[in-house]
Amino acid sequence: MLLQSQTPLPDAIGGLLGFGEMGPGETFVAAFIGAALILTFMLTNAALVIWAKRKITAAFTDRVAVNRVGPAGLLIIPADAVRLLSKELIIPENVDRPAFDVAPLVLALSALLGFAVIPFGNGLQIADPEAGLAYLFAVASIASLGLVMAGYASNNKYSFLGGLRALAQNIAYEIPLVLTAASVVLFAGSLQISTIVAEQAQPLVSLGPVTIPQWYAFVNPFAFVLFLAANMAEVGRNPFDVPEAPTEIVAGWQTEYSSVYFVLAYLGEFLHIFLGGAIVAVVFLGGPAGPVLPGIVWMLIKIWAVFLLTQWTRSALPRVRIDQLIEIGWKGMLVLSFANLLLTAVIVGVLAQGGVL
Amino acid sequence: MSLEEPSPGPDVGLTEEGLDHDALADLVGDALLGRESHRNAEALVVHPDRVAEALGKLRTEAGFDHLACVTAQQYEDRYESIYHLRKYDDPTQELSVVVPTSVDDPRSQSADSVFRTADWHEREAYDLVGIEYDDHPDLRRILLPETWVGHPLSLGYDDESPQIVTLREHANPLADDHRADEGDTMFVNIGPHHPATHGVLHLKTTLDGENVASVEPDIGYLHRCEEQMCEQSTYRHQIMPYPDRWDYISAGILNEWAYARAAEDMADLDVPDYAQVIRTMSAELCRIASHMLAVATFALDVYGDFTAIFMYGVRDREIAQDILEDLTGQRLMFNYLRLGGVAWDLPEPREEFFEKTRDFLEDLPAKLEEYHNLLSSNEIFQLRCVDTGYLDPEVAKNYGATGPVARGSGVDYDLRRDDPYGWYDKLDWDVVTEDGCDNYSRVLVRLQEVEESAKIIEQCVDILEDWPEDERTIQSNVPRTLRPDEDAEIYRSVEAAKGELGIYMRSDGTDKPARFKIRSPCFSNLQTLPEMSTGEYIPDMIASLGSLDIVLGEVDR
Repeated sequence: MLLQSQTPLPDAIGGLLGFGEMGPGETFVAAFIGAALILTFMLTNAALVIWAKRKITAAFTDRVAVNRVGPAGLLIIPADAVRLLSKELIIPENVDRPAFDVAPLVLALSALLGFAVIPFGNGLQIADPEAGLAYLFAVASIASLGLVMAGYASNNKYSFLGGLRALAQNIAYEIPLVLTAASVVLFAGSLQISTIVAEQAQPLVSLGPVTIPQWYAFVNPFAFVLFLAANMAEVGRNPFDVPEAPTEIVAGWQTEYSSVYFVLAYLGEFLHIFLGGAIVAVVFLGGPAGPVLPGIVWMLIKIWAVFLLTQWTRSALPRVRIDQLIEIGWKGMLVLSFANLLLTAVIVGVLAQGGVL
Repeated sequence: MSLEEPSPGPDVGLTEEGLDHDALADLVGDALLGRESHRNAEALVVHPDRVAEALGKLRTEAGFDHLACVTAQQYEDRYESIYHLRKYDDPTQELSVVVPTSVDDPRSQSADSVFRTADWHEREAYDLVGIEYDDHPDLRRILLPETWVGHPLSLGYDDESPQIVTLREHANPLADDHRADEGDTMFVNIGPHHPATHGVLHLKTTLDGENVASVEPDIGYLHRCEEQMCEQSTYRHQIMPYPDRWDYISAGILNEWAYARAAEDMADLDVPDYAQVIRTMSAELCRIASHMLAVATFALDVYGDFTAIFMYGVRDREIAQDILEDLTGQRLMFNYLRLGGVAWDLPEPREEFFEKTRDFLEDLPAKLEEYHNLLSSNEIFQLRCVDTGYLDPEVAKNYGATGPVARGSGVDYDLRRDDPYGWYDKLDWDVVTEDGCDNYSRVLVRLQEVEESAKIIEQCVDILEDWPEDERTIQSNVPRTLRPDEDAEIYRSVEAAKGELGIYMRSDGTDKPARFKIRSPCFSNLQTLPEMSTGEYIPDMIASLGSLDIVLGEVDR
């Protein structure tokens, strides 16, 4: 019943609890419950990654992967959780506390905050502010702060190098990412996520009985590819995984983290990949829209497709060097995204003049 | 190009019949103290204060541009350093330069100013035997810890004396944390425990931002006294298992062959043709397995975690290992070669073995195609590897680089062709060289050498299949106990997976060698790392290290 609702999640929960007229107190309680629901959902989803990542990578690299614990090795998830959480938490001497302790929290938190505005379909959306997209990029880039904190506070040269690399990379790719998303905003005419999703539901072309919706991936494939690449760099996956680069700088900014802190950092990474996937889905792939299956399923399919892509590139592509990475970012992606933005602006302007939009 | 009269080419002593050692002795002039004769080459005894001068003349005027190895040893009445010289153009032209020093003050001039490769070799000689080299740029211990007491391969060494090394005393790599405090550089220890050091290697690296300002490999973590163990073992049976443990990346039979070749030449043993063919085939299988892993781990260094190409490399190497397992009964420590032949004949049923081998060879081109698709034709891979880790051919020669490292720099040097042994000279195959001198070339060389090895194996299988049943002699008659002539000295080398693997042995008339020296190709190749990496980025240095394909078991012995 909850899933059929089209009203925002806190309102639906408020209705269920019989709040009637929602005052600030009631809104807070309802939103809190809604947030807890979404976060639990996302964290469960991220836990599934422990298993899925192994299976996916194994499929790409001609291996079998976990298959001993439970059906298809699924029970490895609780086993791994217990293992990781029960490890000794080693905090090296001379680390800069509390920055060292806060960094993993910041990482995980910034990704989780982003999910507040993601529409999972069927009204599963905590909030839908007018500047939704701007909020999304704003909170996602708080992660850079966490990376620098982790790198700097660890008192380890490898961490330090990793932190600096991460910062340089995030700055270089944040701009193309936002600019490319801005070209979509020009089409949609709004920063509000629900509007962007709704705009994409319009038909693009009709081929007999099949109607292809106006997903921005179809409208502007160039921007889609740019965005995917920039997103890959934002989440730090091959070919852009230089901040960790295990064979060069051990584990980059993660080097000194163990036990719970490591789990948080690791989880934060995967949450970021999923958030990246969610942004791609919302901005370019029509959000939760899709035939037959309910919206939430489609949304998950789209998010996991992006995750699959990151795993694929990780298995198949070499890592670029840090200077090459920065060069690609500033000299390539930035120029292309500006060109894309300008071109889109011109086209949108012309179309608006002609009364098409 | 200068238009001056060209100086006489580096061909003094070169005649139609071979080397004219009198001319070479004249060339060295009054630095010469005498002459000796080793099994592999004539030896010139040179005055300890004039080593650089003598070697310099031999290098520039007689063309001995390859200092293969430096062997140090102690006799009752003297210490001796032997510089094994050969030519990159024709390694059969060999010359040993013997430098004797007194027992009281073992001190001779360093050859570092002539051959850069002497740097590490002389450090090792100092470390293990105790000869001091004047004018050496950096005479420190290399394999043993700085605080070690005594020189283990010298005669008076007391191996009962305790080696108590306190942590305080020990050169703690973590201590000097703030080298070059004044400048903008950062000192970082890469290894001995680091994902990319392929074992226990320690790179003392100074970084200028992301650039490598200087790098110094620190080795010895895997030193297992292999030379000493061989000196305590009998020629006939006890030494053969050890070579498997030098380059343990499935190159075992190649290593065994190095010992077999040296010992057989020293004791004048024949090897039946049939055994030679089996040796050639199994050695090339080892080479394929070794190169596959080299390429796979190189991909690991450039790609990141366990990626497709790494697993493919391991998957395909597995088949070569299976075949070797069928043949030798072992997967890594083969112990298959014997002096005068091999341990046993091909496994029965032979047809099955041949079929398995042929299947492997048949599938190989498709798999190499896959490697080329994933590796060499990937644009990011090219971006990373082309023109990084540049190793000039002259520099490579100066450092005594051999194997795929030298061939990737266009140095056409392959002992299988240039100093033939086994069945190689009767087969149709090519030596692969690339002129790029970079990481990319070294990978290409390895991938192409896999093809060449496959060609060799195929021909060997053909030969073995047609071999008449009653002529399958796998071993010649070898005495139960080998006692080579007293004072016989020999240096012999084979083309192992990583390059020239040489063995120097001196007999004292007993059934055990008096001196057993291993010339490890990785040891010399690793020396080129600072040349390649200084000024480049950290990732390039890691890639260069991977492209050198070192095995620490062989570097440290």
